[in-house]
Amino acid sequence: MRRVATGARPDWRDTARARGFVFHTLDGAPYWDESHAYAFGLDEIEAEIEGPSGELHALCLAFVGRAVADERILARLRVPETAWDAIRASWRRGDPSLYGRLDLAYGGTGPAKLLEYNADTPTALYETGVFQWLWLEEALRDRRLPAGADQYNAVHERLIARFRAVAGPGLLAFTADARAPEDRGTVAYLEDCAVQAGCRTAFADLPDLGLQPGGGLCTRAGAPIETLFKLYPWEWAFADPFGAAVGGAPTRFLEPPWKMLLSNKGLLPCLWALEPGHPNLLPAYFEDDPEVAALGRSYARKPLFSREGANVSLVRDGTPLVDGAGPYGAEGFVRQALAELPAFDGRRALVGSWIVGDEPAGLCLRESDGLVTGDDALFVPHFIEPT
Amino acid sequence: MDATPGAEGQREGQRTRSKRSQTVSLVLVAGAGAAALGLGGIDPSQREEDVLVYADAAACTAEGIRPEDECRGEYAVARQAYPTAAPRYASLIDCEGHHGPGHCLSGSEVGGGPSVEARAGYLPRMAGYLIGRRASQGITPQPVFDHAPRAGHAAAAAGHGGYCTGGGARILTGSGGRASAGRMRTAALHGTTFGGFGQTGRAFSASSHGSTRSSWGG
Repeated sequence: MRRVATGARPDWRDTARARGFVFHTLDGAPYWDESHAYAFGLDEIEAEIEGPSGELHALCLAFVGRAVADERILARLRVPETAWDAIRASWRRGDPSLYGRLDLAYGGTGPAKLLEYNADTPTALYETGVFQWLWLEEALRDRRLPAGADQYNAVHERLIARFRAVAGPGLLAFTADARAPEDRGTVAYLEDCAVQAGCRTAFADLPDLGLQPGGGLCTRAGAPIETLFKLYPWEWAFADPFGAAVGGAPTRFLEPPWKMLLSNKGLLPCLWALEPGHPNLLPAYFEDDPEVAALGRSYARKPLFSREGANVSLVRDGTPLVDGAGPYGAEGFVRQALAELPAFDGRRALVGSWIVGDEPAGLCLRESDGLVTGDDALFVPHFIEPT
Repeated sequence: MDATPGAEGQREGQRTRSKRSQTVSLVLVAGAGAAALGLGGIDPSQREEDVLVYADAAACTAEGIRPEDECRGEYAVARQAYPTAAPRYASLIDCEGHHGPGHCLSGSEVGGGPSVEARAGYLPRMAGYLIGRRASQGITPQPVFDHAPRAGHAAAAAGHGGYCTGGGARILTGSGGRASAGRMRTAALHGTTFGGFGQTGRAFSASSHGSTRSSWGG
């Protein structure tokens, strides 16, 4: 794994506009950056990212199976009791998931370590599946990359195949906060994939979702929603007025309620307890567990519920490296052994490993100045070097 | 958008080992749909949508509101959705009762796919398709169906009951129901409540960022 100067396509902004990638720059700051790219060996991709990602996801499914049968785990994760039945029912029915992103600390020098699982509301999907793919094809065409270079990125194909496999004949509606360009763009892309899979689709802004007297969700036009894709975290949805209706609704959800157990940082100590010493896991404990002392004076401290690095603090040898700010933390914290992100030319890289359905499907890279990858991190493309 | 790998990617023996998608195509996001991501101008409280209804891509092109390639692309999306978007009825009588005599086909005639469900029952003929007047409305192109005339309905005098969508929304058009411009009624939902999702997220965003525009993803 190395960081390579490739030079940006002079016309990439026009290309982005033509392809609907309107959020390549957010609030005036760059988000997509193709001046550089990350190069991987095929063995690094297959043996150290793809393979372990499949194992980690399978381990996560095993954990959900345990959690839905053990209220102590649900309570430990601070899942509100009002959500328990909906979570258990969604798992026992076998409600399928669509996708998720495992965030890994990996720099090519040792096993990838799971930092967290964005299992409920992952973004950076369109950038991965479409714009990064297009970048590779054009870089090959323009000889910016050596002939035979490839990319670990079957995300687009797998999403369409997954929709084809799990969607019913009824309306598949997509919801998000329509005012956030990144979120609106992500669900527009997913709706596009669903249309290509032959699904009947609609977009509804969150406030435009209706609850019918019979308990089902519907659009403003009154169309019953058979399946709702929501780019809105379950812990908020359950706290909303409609949250109590989720369990009894005929509407099914993507992601299903059981995915809430995997996006929770309490997953990390639970996985470590299931498979202590797993090469792709870091030691982790709930903060109020006496065993947390085993981590000593170097650790990452993460709130159970948070996104985009908010409220994450890092401590090395008792000294704070990062003191995370943000609105999260009311539900408590976990501590995880410190795995500092690898540095390339002074930049910190985070590997995002996509799962579509239950299979690993591709990767994206986020690059930042600091040790915690926040929502201001750059998206940098990657390629696989020809053998 | 429809992109396929260039000559580099198609070299013999390489595609079989490739770890990336063979092709990446988009039907909504690129081109006409891109403006749908441009946002703005959507009043969440609106109860009706300005829509355009055309019999086919040629009718759309003839009116000149949309460029020809967008007409063709949007018609193709609606046409592809037709077998799954159309309501299904157990009997021809039920179907014609809703959509009018001679306006229905059997599932096997439509041939939506190899599955038993796709060939079952009766469904209305695709009378045309619906698109938003503006791309920013974010309305997915979808097929529309003739609605059987009802006594007293304005369009019934002209022998046409207007159109409906697969979701059951009625489309009210002028000129005896045949004009391209229409209003899709999105009210009249007795007992349905709205606005029950999103408050917790908005409260969180306001407290943490002082704005409501940041991402709720991660």
